[in-house]
Amino acid sequence: MAATTHTARFRSDVPALGAERPVTWPARPRKKLSNGLEVVLVESHSIPKFHGELMIRSGNSDASAGVADLTATVARTGTARRSSHEIEDDLRSWGADLGTTSGADIGAIEFAGLSEFAPKILELVAELAAQASFPEDEFEREKRQKLEELAISRTTPDFLAMERIRKVMYGEHPYANYAPTADQVSAFTRETLANFYSAHYRPSRALMVIVGDFAPAKMMDEIERAFSDWSGAAPERAARPNPPERKGRRVYLVHLPGAVQAQIITGNRVITRKHPDWLRLALANNIFGGAFNSRLVANIREQKGYTYSPRSGASSLREYAMFNVNAAVRNEVVAATLTEIFYELDRIRSLPVTAAELENAKNYMTGVFSLQLGTQEGMLGQLTGALIDELPEDYLETFRDRIRSMTADDVIGAARKYFDSANTQIVVVGDKNAIGEQAALFGDVTTFDAQGNHI
Amino acid sequence: MAALKIPVEMRKLANGLRVVVSPDSAAPLVTVGVYYNIGFRLEPQGRSGFAHLFEHMMFQGSENAGKMMHIQLINSSGGVLNGSTHYDLTNYFETVPSNALERVLWLEADRMRSLKVDDENLRNQRDVVKEEVRVNVLNQPYGGFSWLDLPPVAFRNWANAHNFYGEFADLDAASLVDVKAFFDAYYRPSNAVLVIVGDADPQEAFALAAKYFEPIPSEPPVPQADATEPLQTEERRGIVEEKFGTLPAVAIGYRTPERRTPDWYALALADYVLHGGRAGRVYRRLVLEEELALDAEGGLGDVIEFNGPMQMVTKIIFKPEVTNEQILKAYDEVIAEFREKGVGADELAQIKVKFRSDYYSSLESGRQGFPKFGLLHYLACLTLFDGDPNLVNTILDEFLKVTPEQVKAFAEKYLAPTQRAIVYRLPVTKPMAEAVAQGVA
Repeated sequence: MAATTHTARFRSDVPALGAERPVTWPARPRKKLSNGLEVVLVESHSIPKFHGELMIRSGNSDASAGVADLTATVARTGTARRSSHEIEDDLRSWGADLGTTSGADIGAIEFAGLSEFAPKILELVAELAAQASFPEDEFEREKRQKLEELAISRTTPDFLAMERIRKVMYGEHPYANYAPTADQVSAFTRETLANFYSAHYRPSRALMVIVGDFAPAKMMDEIERAFSDWSGAAPERAARPNPPERKGRRVYLVHLPGAVQAQIITGNRVITRKHPDWLRLALANNIFGGAFNSRLVANIREQKGYTYSPRSGASSLREYAMFNVNAAVRNEVVAATLTEIFYELDRIRSLPVTAAELENAKNYMTGVFSLQLGTQEGMLGQLTGALIDELPEDYLETFRDRIRSMTADDVIGAARKYFDSANTQIVVVGDKNAIGEQAALFGDVTTFDAQGNHI
Repeated sequence: MAALKIPVEMRKLANGLRVVVSPDSAAPLVTVGVYYNIGFRLEPQGRSGFAHLFEHMMFQGSENAGKMMHIQLINSSGGVLNGSTHYDLTNYFETVPSNALERVLWLEADRMRSLKVDDENLRNQRDVVKEEVRVNVLNQPYGGFSWLDLPPVAFRNWANAHNFYGEFADLDAASLVDVKAFFDAYYRPSNAVLVIVGDADPQEAFALAAKYFEPIPSEPPVPQADATEPLQTEERRGIVEEKFGTLPAVAIGYRTPERRTPDWYALALADYVLHGGRAGRVYRRLVLEEELALDAEGGLGDVIEFNGPMQMVTKIIFKPEVTNEQILKAYDEVIAEFREKGVGADELAQIKVKFRSDYYSSLESGRQGFPKFGLLHYLACLTLFDGDPNLVNTILDEFLKVTPEQVKAFAEKYLAPTQRAIVYRLPVTKPMAEAVAQGVA
């Protein structure tokens, strides 16, 4: 259809790009305080606020499943000096937001607020890090809440898919524990959390990054003052069991009765973010399925219409990482989608990418990397990721050149090593009566219910 | 607190397209948006979901940039792009390194003047949209709660009351004829605004905008359709089945005042009294103190982006042992106290600090990967709906001027039972049967 073509005066060829303005990463003053806390600051005066994150290097894999997570939740509900009610009122009166979370490796207090209240906000963050009081009634309520939340999560397809793929990929390693069971949560006592907190919320290996509208020297002084009473060393992580080596394709079906769509996630083990090949893997992923303009999206969305938002990516925890392909598809096309996923995996392993694909993907990766410069939050995310993984000091500055120097050989090399098509594990969450036969075409099937029981 | 001084310049092209530029060269990035003054509210009857389906079609090709080209050209310039359909607007936006500005303007102009799509594109995107609806609504616990549940209960004008994501039968019925008609009716320069935020010199940006958009001929303004609602005089109730989730839920929505009236400013502050995380009265009472609910959140969404009848909504997921009437009674106590006593001067002062802080954050971000998208969004909405992008610098003060008396007056008038709609979303098992038996809905 030519809906409306108004005029012939319009140019028909694509305008060339102009001269590029250099990308300059800001200075990042850094200091290790006497208690071990490492602080990194970045000035950004776009709005009269600041955004920060205080991270400890312990998480859900450092205790029984769910302990770190609930510890983080309850830690914000009271300190030696403030009740839960006072904490929330104080935050509001400083124009502040605050969240406490825990992932597999990292616990974090995330905060943002108006610069004019920075000293008070830092004081509260320090209190939450050093003097959380774990009030009994707050603990009991949060525990009951957690049980209800878990029940809802186990009706949510993407949660169930991630929970299962983590179990499949990590086996006896604690990374397998994506979420606790109801029984595990029920067994927690206030002391379970208080003990975890007391052992792990310590400054020795903690990192704090703040980006925003402030004078760094003054901010550093305020941080030292606020955190001067925090002391102690967190325990070093003990050795843990190795994850299993998965050979051959297998299918893990999580049965969700009545589902009108199937959530697919595939996985195979890859290198972590600290490995020298990581950016090669990232570039190969970008061409395969990591961007809208990728082969996977062009194929199963834009050509075939099987799915809305398919994507692939490597997600790295501290010790291990996996490469995943995700797609939520209608029940009728589960087998068709898996066929295309494996076709694309095998294609990028077999044939070199074209010069145009390579150039486009490199431009995309280098450009998008710099977009984070535009906001305080973007800058914070970019920086915490690099710092917590202990990437080289000049990671931000050298990223673009490293990507630009890559060749088609780098891509096919990474694809052959890391897109392990033959040994890919397949998780499908859906109604087994609608999708079971299709799933079985791709390997032996083990079926679970939403609670994780074999059925 | 210093007054905001965001630089804003506006020009109107001969064909009626308004162009707004807000320069900021701190980073070598530019965010561009084209906003059309048509959202899902005014999509054609019998074609529910069409405005959103049409938005997808705008990525399927234009005369000089075929299918996948828009995406490829932006991504390969080092940028990102997206589009979204709202009640009263549809937007298309990109963030790119600033050396790609001309390319972005060329692409946006090409699709404003010459959308070029075929039946195959339409079939493909209809399938994609259905999977979008499944992943966000039909296959999720509490999917579409409550933005799809409340309107049919709350409103009487089809424009406000229909399924905005689309009945599958309506999506199936959509044809290329509909696509052409919709494009011709609404995608005109005079019905749009182009906003450029970031590393761009205003004079150069205006010149480029004129170069690519001015050749698009002018068409008469789009006639204003009727989205008004008859006066509501009674509480309205409904009930929706929850297929996956384990807990009962309820949404309560109150009709809101007209844009940029004194009551509207008070509404935004009243929203913070009731909602706004763990300090809001509803969460504090129902979740933290009485422990009746797992979660209680809500509010207005982004008040700046609506230009028609809306509701302020509280969404509550409550515990299985709590009855449908108990949860409503506890909520009503919060509302009754608010209407009777209003808000204290201290509490309002506290809220205003948070409001101001949130406003700054809205300007800065808004969408992941699109720096300053929020500023762009506000500039576009204030131009489309109020004709004045410079309000972005002054409208915050109007909110901060609201007095406790105004908030109380708002609460008395607008938080009346006759002004609300209530929808229970109940698991298919026990609570649903109970509710029917009790006649709650």
